[in-house]
Amino acid sequence: MMWGWAGPLAIGLIAGLVGWHAALVAIPRVVMKIATDRVAEAGGINRFAHAPLVTDKARRIVRPSPDLAYSSCPLDLKEGPLLIEVAPVAAPYWSLSIFDRRTDVAFVRNNRDTKGAPIRIAVAGEGQRVPDGIETVRVPGARGIALIRILLEDRARFPVIDVERRRSRCTPLSAGRS
Amino acid sequence: MKPGFRYAICVLAGLLLGGGAAVRAVRSSSFASGERVGPWRSGGDFGSAEAAAFTRAAIAVHGLLALPAREARYYSTAVDDEGRPLDGRCAYAIAGGNPGGAWFSLTLYGEDGFLVRNGANIFSVGSAAMTPAERERWRLIAAPEPREGRWLPTGGADRFNLTLRVYLPREGLSALPAITRLSCP
Repeated sequence: MMWGWAGPLAIGLIAGLVGWHAALVAIPRVVMKIATDRVAEAGGINRFAHAPLVTDKARRIVRPSPDLAYSSCPLDLKEGPLLIEVAPVAAPYWSLSIFDRRTDVAFVRNNRDTKGAPIRIAVAGEGQRVPDGIETVRVPGARGIALIRILLEDRARFPVIDVERRRSRCTPLSAGRS
Repeated sequence: MKPGFRYAICVLAGLLLGGGAAVRAVRSSSFASGERVGPWRSGGDFGSAEAAAFTRAAIAVHGLLALPAREARYYSTAVDDEGRPLDGRCAYAIAGGNPGGAWFSLTLYGEDGFLVRNGANIFSVGSAAMTPAERERWRLIAAPEPREGRWLPTGGADRFNLTLRVYLPREGLSALPAITRLSCP
């Protein structure tokens, strides 16, 4: 009788390992989907939402930094690539990072890298065509988030920074698919 | 019972138990589960494609959209130098130097990973607001009530934790801040 369970239990053990790994693969994607949906609720897809400085009332993303001003663009590349342009701001540190659907960083560049110059890049999925001459970041899948971080020396300077950062753009690029 | 049913039951149970165990392990993990430096723990491969599956899942849950180590390093602790849980009703002296980056900031979070409510709306202390000399040797008090000098409010929370962010870190690391409990009610 017990012998009849040996095979099923062995297969069950393997299924347990498969379940463990499948959950670990799924968790970042699910969390990222929830995060992009929440950010999109605030400002829409494929455009920057410029969040106010975080306080204790901020509950969208865990462990926010109160020293940073965040601008985020939820990416949806199903209709084609996007063009992201980041305008310099008068802050000691600012950066653009692009996270893919697995939460991996596909791109990161800061103001020291650019020597204070603007950033202009296209974000495209596999097989999507981008006009020559535009630096391109390829990401797996259609979803992700582009995030601008601006370090504030003083939270009182936020109104000035807030005006400057609104010159940054996240817009569809009309090149379309190849 | 037919053999097919036995296999189906065991496969289903295995998938559920394995998946459930992974979710439980990730939820009970920490934002920083890497190298230990005093009471602090770091994580070295946030956001990188090389991150192990478990690390990536833990960061997604506890610190989504964290920057890679080249851009910023994160150190967290929920205990003081003697290993006691950080208690928001107590007062702590936190002192350190420049931890080896262009900027750094120390932020206080509640157990849920969000900023702690306090009347002064102070949630962090950062090097950007310090003089160059102070960046090399600084001290603050984390306590529920206002203190002279640099004060990081605990909001009186039962438990809190601290995250030190070091932006544009250099190779290697200076000593991380010491956390000394001064008093408790």
